[in-house]
Amino acid sequence: MKIDPALVSKVAALASLELTDAERSAMAEQLTRIVDHFEALREIPDELLEGEEIPRAMPLRADAVDACLPIAVVEANAPEFAHGHFVVPRVVTRD
Amino acid sequence: MTELSPATLLEGSFIALADAVGSGRVTARAVAEESLVRVEKAQKAFGAFLSTDPAATLREAEAVDRRVAAGERLPLAGVPLAVKDNINVAGRPSTAGSKILAGFVSPDHATCVARLVDAGAVVVGKTNCDAFGMGSSNENSAYGPVRNPWNPARVPGGSSGGSAAAVAARAVPLSIGTDTGGSVRQPAALCGLVGWKPTYGRVSRYGLIAFASSFDQAGALTRSVDEGACAFSVMAGADPKDATALTTPVPDVGAGLGARLFGKRIGLLAEASSAEGGLHADVKASFEKAAGTLRAAGAVVTTVSVPRVPFAVPVYYLTATAEASSNLARFDGVRYGARKGEASLAALYRETRSAGFGPEVKRRILLGTFALSSGYHDAYYGRAQKVRALLARDFAAAFREVDAILCPTSPEPAFALGAKTDDPLAMYLADVFTVPPSLAGLPAVSVPSGFSRDGLPIGMQFIGPGDAEPLLFALARVLEDASGVLARRAPGAVS
Repeated sequence: MKIDPALVSKVAALASLELTDAERSAMAEQLTRIVDHFEALREIPDELLEGEEIPRAMPLRADAVDACLPIAVVEANAPEFAHGHFVVPRVVTRD
Repeated sequence: MTELSPATLLEGSFIALADAVGSGRVTARAVAEESLVRVEKAQKAFGAFLSTDPAATLREAEAVDRRVAAGERLPLAGVPLAVKDNINVAGRPSTAGSKILAGFVSPDHATCVARLVDAGAVVVGKTNCDAFGMGSSNENSAYGPVRNPWNPARVPGGSSGGSAAAVAARAVPLSIGTDTGGSVRQPAALCGLVGWKPTYGRVSRYGLIAFASSFDQAGALTRSVDEGACAFSVMAGADPKDATALTTPVPDVGAGLGARLFGKRIGLLAEASSAEGGLHADVKASFEKAAGTLRAAGAVVTTVSVPRVPFAVPVYYLTATAEASSNLARFDGVRYGARKGEASLAALYRETRSAGFGPEVKRRILLGTFALSSGYHDAYYGRAQKVRALLARDFAAAFREVDAILCPTSPEPAFALGAKTDDPLAMYLADVFTVPPSLAGLPAVSVPSGFSRDGLPIGMQFIGPGDAEPLLFALARVLEDASGVLARRAPGAVS
């Protein structure tokens, strides 16, 4: 399958990544080669795969309140923190 | 009572070292001081470490000395420990080898670290690695490559390349790493060490920086099988902080070491000889020699097929990257790590991630996002998951015929730095033998089996059914005894 720079751009947007033109071209070429190689999975007959699923579902922990990190520890690692909150660029604006 | 030199102890097994510290013949502090000197040399020569904190190390060593003086029996008393930089150690940086986590300091220990420290181990440094565990040569670290102590022009393997180089260089006798698709076993093989991944869930994932959660496991790298088994017995166990951690009893790996192999059925992986990308002649010869060694030890050696092994690399790189695309979404510049871009929230996410992730991490996020995206999900991710389940069934069928499977760990000995950096697919194929057990959640142990004609280590991998670790370590011990590898010192080892 051909992965062109336009498809790379679309996927990059989904992943919140910004690529330069050179990165986009290189990724398109490399991903095409990789995905072409992975087309080998089509050699496995569909009937062999019918009903196959991952046998072990991820277990879930109890939905209970547990100890969490002290605010000071969280703040120490935060790029920007104020009044007990992470600071981010304004999300809601008044038009 | 004879006092022992820390330098001599660091040349031998850490089991003897812990005994010496535990019996008061040497202090943990003296051992830590010697290890810190070696760590600095290993960093300069091979780029093995990303951070150290000598003052904290010496404080922690003194704490071990106080515990020993108070009469505590510690199986790892004073054993210097190096920790891969994607595993949290309280109060120390964890960069995972990526710029995006610059400045992050771990708030607590990973469970596996806590268990080792409780047993008396002393953390001497955090080791270099491929960013987020993504690589097979340690050339994807944002902080520079690691070199192989057996030949500095060669890679140490990856992604736990720094952890492997640290032990091969004799800076520490024990290091830990993460193994998602072979990241402990392959560097162990390329650096002449023992490296294991447990049955999925046997060692807690709490405190590991996630790459692909249905694969990620912590493992250890040591010079000998006995040390590897000792590390397993300390690190393994249930953990309420990890819902995937097994709660069944941990198998006793100490009891079987040195046991006779008479009648044990070992299957040589039929698909090994036709591996895509080829099998290096010296690795092939070592594989055949290993089969002969096992026969001579009383094992019944046959050939066994796991038919979907040739599809393991595509399945792994579609499913693991899909999980990575989700796990790495958390790195957005809001809560921790580096931050860039203030124009809007979307710009903050985009600019932080674009500047912080390196090329291989971006490539894998894009591949995983593609495999999960509308219109491609069923053909790629969905199909890969089904083949993953089929591969697990193949292994289950194989283990009705044999007790364990043997194959090379890596299709070739350590390759030259730069040899595969322009060809991501060739790099992925380096994992051809390590990803199959990862896909099926099976335990595997890599053990040195000999050397190539140009003096590079070669490793063989034993794969077993779930909870087969005792048998795998016992089998590895047989190859270790025959290979004579323990008597050889890497030419670049420090002192």
